[in-house]
Amino acid sequence: MELSESVQKGFQMLADPGSFDSNAFTLLLRAAFQSLLDAQADEAVLDHPDLKHIDPVVLKHCHAAAATYILEAGKHRADKSTLSTYLEDCKFDRERIELFCTEYQNNKNSLEILLGSIGRSLPHITDVSWRLEYQIKTNQLHRMYRPAYLVTLSVQNTDSPSYPEISFSCSMEQLQDLVGKLKDASKSLERATQL
Amino acid sequence: MLLELSEEHKEHLAFLPQVDSSVVAEFGRIAVEFLRRGANPKIYEGAARKLNVSSDTVQHGVEGLTYLLTESSKLMISELDFQDSVFVLGFSEELNKLLLQLYLDNRKEIRMILSELAPSLPSYHNLEWRLDVQLASRSLRQQIKPAVTIKLHLNQNGDHNTKILQTDPATLLHLVQQLEQALEEMKTNHCRRVVRNIK
Repeated sequence: MELSESVQKGFQMLADPGSFDSNAFTLLLRAAFQSLLDAQADEAVLDHPDLKHIDPVVLKHCHAAAATYILEAGKHRADKSTLSTYLEDCKFDRERIELFCTEYQNNKNSLEILLGSIGRSLPHITDVSWRLEYQIKTNQLHRMYRPAYLVTLSVQNTDSPSYPEISFSCSMEQLQDLVGKLKDASKSLERATQL
Repeated sequence: MLLELSEEHKEHLAFLPQVDSSVVAEFGRIAVEFLRRGANPKIYEGAARKLNVSSDTVQHGVEGLTYLLTESSKLMISELDFQDSVFVLGFSEELNKLLLQLYLDNRKEIRMILSELAPSLPSYHNLEWRLDVQLASRSLRQQIKPAVTIKLHLNQNGDHNTKILQTDPATLLHLVQQLEQALEEMKTNHCRRVVRNIK
């Protein structure tokens, strides 16, 4: 994990009981996790009365340092010993290290879900709807009498917020072919998970 | 159901009894070829010279025959109805038999060509799939995220289109279940009754 000097300085300030007493430390730590993980978190997360006595510049610096470190740790799936080692190097006392590790453990799952959802991917199929019709005639061809399916795939795109749909028609044989192939894929998936 | 032939149409077809039945058969072949590939006016000129008539006459003859064949195929009229419709033209029995044969021989193909004229949505052609497991990304290492990547081949108006999509295992099972239900629908009493009774 590569961490900048700024992060290290921020943590060193956090370690100092003169700048941050126990209460303030806990509050700041929780604020850092909250601003990362809570979708509704607003800018007032640092506005707690018990943090008012601290210089706002210091507050922001430490908040940013903590948030940066949390993200890096989450990205690399850091374990407790990695966290402890780094915090020790920043002169954290035992109690604060324990506190940090506990908070991290509590929020680890949400953090990993958040990080895992960032990134580009192919358009993702989310649902399918279908319609069965019986074709009787067109203006070019009378007396058709054949069933046909209209299938619509709902697709979600990471790039654009739009939700395009893919629709296509198929005969019964073609739908059987399609379903057959999808079943092959899911059987293959099942076998792979049993390996 | 009888075919209704307009006066103009009957005039165009009046050319047919004036030529050999082999010529009529040839016109029939040209008519179907034109339906398959589009008209080629040069053929009219060649035929007109050989038969010693104007190329317009030949064109009308072929077009009249084409229309006769396509209308009959579109409506899927029975042999009897076709014979009765053609009877009003006052042709020889030999010519009538020839026309009927032309109709019966080419009906299926003509109907297939006509079906391509209908408004159409993209239609399914093929599906290829691949199993992937995402191991890491820029924002998160050490992942195990299975996914199914799908290449869907569609046809529209002769154009071949492919779409590359992805889905997760749970959605894949959901897709299979939903589409199997769709297939099952055809076997229900309701659908069977409709298919049996609407003919």
